[in-house]
Amino acid sequence: MNFFLSYIILAEIFAIVALSTNFLVGVIGIFSVSQAAIMGVGAYAYAIAVMAGIPFPLALLLAITLCALLNVATSLPSLRLEGDYFVVTSFGLQIVATAVFMNWSAVTGGTSGIAGIPAPRFSGLSFDEPENFVFLSTFALGLASAGYWLLMRSSYGRTLHAIRLDELAAVAAGRHVLQMKLGISAVSGAYAGLGGALYAIFMSFIDPSSFEIHVSVLILTMLVVGGARTLAGSILGPFIILAVPQMLTLLALPPHLIGPLRSLAFGVILVSFMLWLPKGLAGRKI
Amino acid sequence: MLFLQLIADGLVNGCAIGVVAITFTYVYTTTGVFHVAHAGVFTLGGYLAWYLSKEGIPFVLCVALAMVICAAVGAAIEKGIYEKLLKRQATPLVQLIASLGLLAVLQNLVAILFTPNVLQFESIAWRMKVLHFGPIDLTIPQVLTVFTAFAAVYGLIYFSTKTNLGRRIRAVASNRTLAEITRLKPFEVYVYVMAISSALVVLPSVFIGLDQAMQPYSSVLVLLTAVIAVISGGLGSIRGAFSASLVMGIVQNAVLIVVPGRWSIALTFTLFIVFILFRPTGLFATKIRRAS
Repeated sequence: MNFFLSYIILAEIFAIVALSTNFLVGVIGIFSVSQAAIMGVGAYAYAIAVMAGIPFPLALLLAITLCALLNVATSLPSLRLEGDYFVVTSFGLQIVATAVFMNWSAVTGGTSGIAGIPAPRFSGLSFDEPENFVFLSTFALGLASAGYWLLMRSSYGRTLHAIRLDELAAVAAGRHVLQMKLGISAVSGAYAGLGGALYAIFMSFIDPSSFEIHVSVLILTMLVVGGARTLAGSILGPFIILAVPQMLTLLALPPHLIGPLRSLAFGVILVSFMLWLPKGLAGRKI
Repeated sequence: MLFLQLIADGLVNGCAIGVVAITFTYVYTTTGVFHVAHAGVFTLGGYLAWYLSKEGIPFVLCVALAMVICAAVGAAIEKGIYEKLLKRQATPLVQLIASLGLLAVLQNLVAILFTPNVLQFESIAWRMKVLHFGPIDLTIPQVLTVFTAFAAVYGLIYFSTKTNLGRRIRAVASNRTLAEITRLKPFEVYVYVMAISSALVVLPSVFIGLDQAMQPYSSVLVLLTAVIAVISGGLGSIRGAFSASLVMGIVQNAVLIVVPGRWSIALTFTLFIVFILFRPTGLFATKIRRAS
């Protein structure tokens, strides 16, 4: 039962991060392979803040704000450019973040990471146990989904779609394209930060390997499989993709091959979906 | 003297990065695909050569065979995936995600077929042999890196300016629609370009592997450094990309005097991100056109 609950919780956390990626990849069409890095910053910021004695809501707010700012700062080049530079900045950000998590030992604990991150307590109810935590993660995903749904139906969301389809026309119609893109980057960063903080709470242990480039590719795979630009897609994707490793454990494989085989499976999934089903299972055209 | 040695090592690294850079830009400017899977071909080439040398095949033959196999893999990628996507008018984003998936496939195939661990060319005895050039010491693989890199650069320049196929490739790169009308068969050209680039990228892979060590996942870093060089050097120029790679190699090694090695990667990318924020068009102000 615990095993199943952990799966649900992790899928819900990754659904929030997939929504964050969806804002960038699906809604404004910016490639991102650094969502795990932003998520990692959220997780580390939350862990460090909580360990320093800052109360839960403030630590969460700190993680979310930091990630929003960071995402805006790093997507700035891609917003100003009509080119493929952003692919490099995105990859670069991911690599810089991993290097910082690994090497800034005084703060991040280096390769050994941070252990014993305390879970919040509300009126005697601790969120240590999956039975309780699942309510928190479900609530967070519900909030994030509602936010996504409302945002996409607002005039702001409609303008974002217009920008993706024809940026020049949006400018000509007097929309502040740069401001709007910066805004959605901030929202995307905040979602990744929330996902990261929840991840830190649930695992109670974080290390650089949890936020590597493989994880960014994993998140992108979730989005691609579920389908871009829809709420259903971002939620469906994580649930499907996180089930893949479980299915691989059913085959009797030598343990040192499990990691590469899992990544190989994700690679095959990415290529196949791009070739035959670029819309994903429940998405729209990208 | 340490400084001179660092500069020399940086120059060697720059040569290796340079070959990755020119082959990447060759693919990118011709086909328009941001071919991140190039890093996967790089990895595959090195491991193939390692495997063949372990089986007792002469070294030159190992490299040649690895190049032939990688050329075939490159051609297959173009034919089987990129061509299909291009014909369906997939967006650059879709092509990029497919390329990223391919990268994961290639790297992990290598990890599964060979080994996910760091490995060295144990069967090559001369890989540790050092030659002395005044105050500078270079290993034989390092010297070979430099030689093959210059051969690759000038060979590619000669090929693309003096031969018929090379000119045809440039014609397709500059205007695909026109090339199609004049029966230059762009899709056939793309296959050649991918094959040539995939074969050439084996060279730095093997020599870096010989000199240091190999690991299936480290090639992403090499490719990124190369792409940064391509962007700073001005897109589409083979000479520009190679010169920028040399500068990057030297700078990356020279900063080791003041910065500990583990921070050098982070420093390079942070500098690049800041640089791109303020000089989005690159050093030589060439505008990047979006792949379409």
